[in-house]
Amino acid sequence: MTRLLFAILLAAASAPGAEPAVFSLKTMTAQMKYDTAEMLVQPGQPVKITFENGDDLPHNLVFCQPGTDTAAMAMKQMEKPEEALKRNWLPDDSRIWAHSKMLNPHEKEVLSFSAPEKPGNYPYVCTFPGHALTMRGVLKVAPVGDTLHDLQFALYLGNWQQLPDFSKLKPHREGKIDDNLLQVKLDDYKNEFGVVFTGKLIAPKKGPYRFFLSSDDGSRLLIDGKEIILYDGIHPAGDIKEQGLTLDKGEHEFRLEYFQGGGQIELYAAWKGSDFQITPLSKWLHPKWQGGTKKQKEFDPIPLVVKDEAVIYRNFIQGAGNRGIGVGYPGGVNIAWSAESMNLALIWRGAFMDASKHWNSRGGGHEKPLGYDALMPTGEVTPAFFVTDKPEAEWPKWDKAKRYEGFHWLGYSLDAKRSPTFRYSWQGAEIEESFAVEGDGNKPEGNAKLIRTIKVAGKVPADAWYRIGSGSFESKDGSFFSKGQIPYRITVSDAQLAGQNLVVPAKRGTMTITYQWAQ
Amino acid sequence: MKRILYLSLLCSPLFAADPVEADFYKITTFETPKETALEVGSIDLMPDGKLALGTRRGEIWVVSGAGSDDTSNVSYKLFASGMHEVLGIAYNPKDKNLYATTRYEITRLIDTDHDGRADVFENVNDSWGVSGDYHEYAIGSRFDKAGDLWVTLCLTGSFSSAVPFRGWALRIKPNGTMVPTCSGIRSPGGIGFDADGEVYYCDNQGPWHGACTLQHLVPGTFQGHPGGNVWYDLAPNMGPRPIDPIPEAFQGDKGRKDKREGGDPDRMVTERERIKQLLPPAVYLVHGKIGNSASAIICDLSEGKFGPFSKQLFVADQSHSNLSRVYLETVNGIKQGVVIPFRSGFASGIIGGRMDEEGRVFVGGSDRGWGARGGKPFCFEKCEWTGKTPFEVHEMHAKPDGFEVTFTQPVDPASAGDLKSYSMREFTYAYREQYGGDEVSEILPKITAATVAADGKSVRLTISPVTKGHIHELHLDGVRSAEKLPLLHKVGYYTLNEIPAK
Repeated sequence: MTRLLFAILLAAASAPGAEPAVFSLKTMTAQMKYDTAEMLVQPGQPVKITFENGDDLPHNLVFCQPGTDTAAMAMKQMEKPEEALKRNWLPDDSRIWAHSKMLNPHEKEVLSFSAPEKPGNYPYVCTFPGHALTMRGVLKVAPVGDTLHDLQFALYLGNWQQLPDFSKLKPHREGKIDDNLLQVKLDDYKNEFGVVFTGKLIAPKKGPYRFFLSSDDGSRLLIDGKEIILYDGIHPAGDIKEQGLTLDKGEHEFRLEYFQGGGQIELYAAWKGSDFQITPLSKWLHPKWQGGTKKQKEFDPIPLVVKDEAVIYRNFIQGAGNRGIGVGYPGGVNIAWSAESMNLALIWRGAFMDASKHWNSRGGGHEKPLGYDALMPTGEVTPAFFVTDKPEAEWPKWDKAKRYEGFHWLGYSLDAKRSPTFRYSWQGAEIEESFAVEGDGNKPEGNAKLIRTIKVAGKVPADAWYRIGSGSFESKDGSFFSKGQIPYRITVSDAQLAGQNLVVPAKRGTMTITYQWAQ
Repeated sequence: MKRILYLSLLCSPLFAADPVEADFYKITTFETPKETALEVGSIDLMPDGKLALGTRRGEIWVVSGAGSDDTSNVSYKLFASGMHEVLGIAYNPKDKNLYATTRYEITRLIDTDHDGRADVFENVNDSWGVSGDYHEYAIGSRFDKAGDLWVTLCLTGSFSSAVPFRGWALRIKPNGTMVPTCSGIRSPGGIGFDADGEVYYCDNQGPWHGACTLQHLVPGTFQGHPGGNVWYDLAPNMGPRPIDPIPEAFQGDKGRKDKREGGDPDRMVTERERIKQLLPPAVYLVHGKIGNSASAIICDLSEGKFGPFSKQLFVADQSHSNLSRVYLETVNGIKQGVVIPFRSGFASGIIGGRMDEEGRVFVGGSDRGWGARGGKPFCFEKCEWTGKTPFEVHEMHAKPDGFEVTFTQPVDPASAGDLKSYSMREFTYAYREQYGGDEVSEILPKITAATVAADGKSVRLTISPVTKGHIHELHLDGVRSAEKLPLLHKVGYYTLNEIPAK
């Protein structure tokens, strides 16, 4: 027995690609999905999966034979719920060949098994009632392909912005790459050089193949003298370019040209055939390749389109607290108002909001504005009003356990164009705020402006200040210019700078504040 | 085993003529406006046969003509949009306005220019916290008999309460003031009234809940999940904070979330002795059998227009996309009763539901986030009585030594008087902080007598033993009607909080 085990271990160790495939798979909070939609392994390869339930419902991970209708399998249990309960919702089905326990929220389990010997797509699914339709993925079992043969390199020196015509240049150094994996073999040259790799690629049969290329800086891939992928210029290895190609069975001429301007040096190339998985031809593996996993994609966007009326979106908006009210105005200017702080939190231009985060699955999380040039005039949004004899003081911050004292949110009314007027009270004062847009926020040169009108009635306490801005401002020509990342200016009468605060003495009456992006 | 399987396969066509749910209650699916995903989260009735629908996407639609037999008469008008999830909608006949319960606020919506679109959105009350966690849903009621609105607030996640009143039921008085009313809520799915105007909500399986439940919201009570009890300081009207279930001393060296060999020892029925504010669930909506995600509560006040179940409750499920039926009684001052499957086959997970005076049940919902049967991402549907009376258990009453079961039609005395027509199983759930839990402490009692009443409308079952705190699962497979038909639903689950003295 022991001897047999040794024999197996030895065999496994000597087989190419027998390194264990290690994956981390989580359930996504509030989304009824695994974070990984696809895992790629080789036939018989040892697999180790750390399965973590990050959700607050129970979930399991059940692997089935290719072709299993996993949703139907999970649903079938409901015919005999008593029995299913006793089995903790693991179907009694011979097509299941590996599975985790039913994990409670925030539990973890490490699964170790050998991948099936037969190549194919093995679905995995959560069999807890109702989960199988969306909580699923595929374990792809496929052998790896062949790598390059007779790989040679030629190193050239030069300072280029694009790939040069290497045929007109004289190599500085040439050589052979013993492990046949593309790599940049450095000597003293870490900048301003180029490499041409040549070798042979053997197609196991006639058929479609796919090539992948990424590099920092530029590169191109040629098969049998024909350019397949071009990824030229100075750039990081951000994307993986890919291209399909039909090859005849047998030997093909492989050529990859690469150049380095300065900074990072990266080169990734791979190929895939109809019966073998993506197989790297380079030593360096691109992070997006992720060792054969495919992460779950985000939701398709649901942009809220503003036409000739204002659009309101009350939800969790990043930067507007938990009682956010987004308003998209015709004219491409948008705001988010906080019904927690009774104040303007955000201004941005361009598109309004993407609702996909909140209108898919359980709708968790705060969504950021969809447009651009988002301004937060007071930084973290706090109430505008504050009684202090030191207007340079820090304004009270949010305490999640209680509400801002003295402030009462009253609501809003809509005018004929559905533009809201917000209402709240503070101590003895009644405040109304409304907004108007000038210019065109959909164009950077559109001269877009937001005009905010604040009406204060009733009793305003002594020493009360109204804070308009917080941060670094410069007073010039009657306006206050923000020196932050996105330049803009605030125009308002009677305002003064007090330390980091741009304030006006709070009083009854009407105040107009104009916010305008610098062009 | 194999032979039995064959036999049942062969036999099944013989039962094909047996009545099915659709013979008695038909479901009509409405087309919904193309410009939106009508993920119905709440429904209320408006004058002139109109309905108000609040949706998960924050819209309020006014629907006309949904009562008509001709679905082409249905029309929709968008009354308001941009609200933060409308999981409660209430029409106020006094001021003729709609009130929406949203994530962080109860809003009064006023259409001042009568163009069919709301133009004033007034904050009626927003005195509870929101931490930004997705789980912090707010489920609102209709107006109760005192003119109050009720709101049940989901905890922050499953276990704890990050901001004030998460895990509480609050009442909002007509003048807008808020009264903390019950603690102990975990994850409410719906709120509704019985025929007497008493208020109930559905909670969902999870920590401290072995199954979903129907719970009676008696002011001042603790409903079972201690996560929100940190806010008793803010609710002086509620009296002192209840002691926690499973005190540290009882746990020994185990933490609350640790697994225990031999199962978790704590039970609702024993903790009731220690924790005086603790009110046990009126009915356990047995997990996986009745549903997985209880939601709307609908009372039949149609006086017979919805069939023979006048004044009973119908509880919807967001995962099984069904309605179950609940008959409640009061024993020793506490509500308890039976839940029986009623109608399955809705197109998506039901969240909101309401019956009109004509006995039409309007329901709607979505499968988003938790998955649901039915296959549609969202739905708006109507369930109506066909006029045919199903042979069903009508009511189930606890007795000191068993149960009295009444039926919608006279029974066949021979089968109904035969002990072999019945079987019973008793079980309960551990009352524990871990998520959900198995059916535990199973007892298989003896049914010692089945006495059919002279009018053939009820059977008195003597059971030994009956067990306080246990769910009594009664199967009536052999019972036939006078017309020799089997029961449409052959099982009921009675939660025996109290055993009556007589």
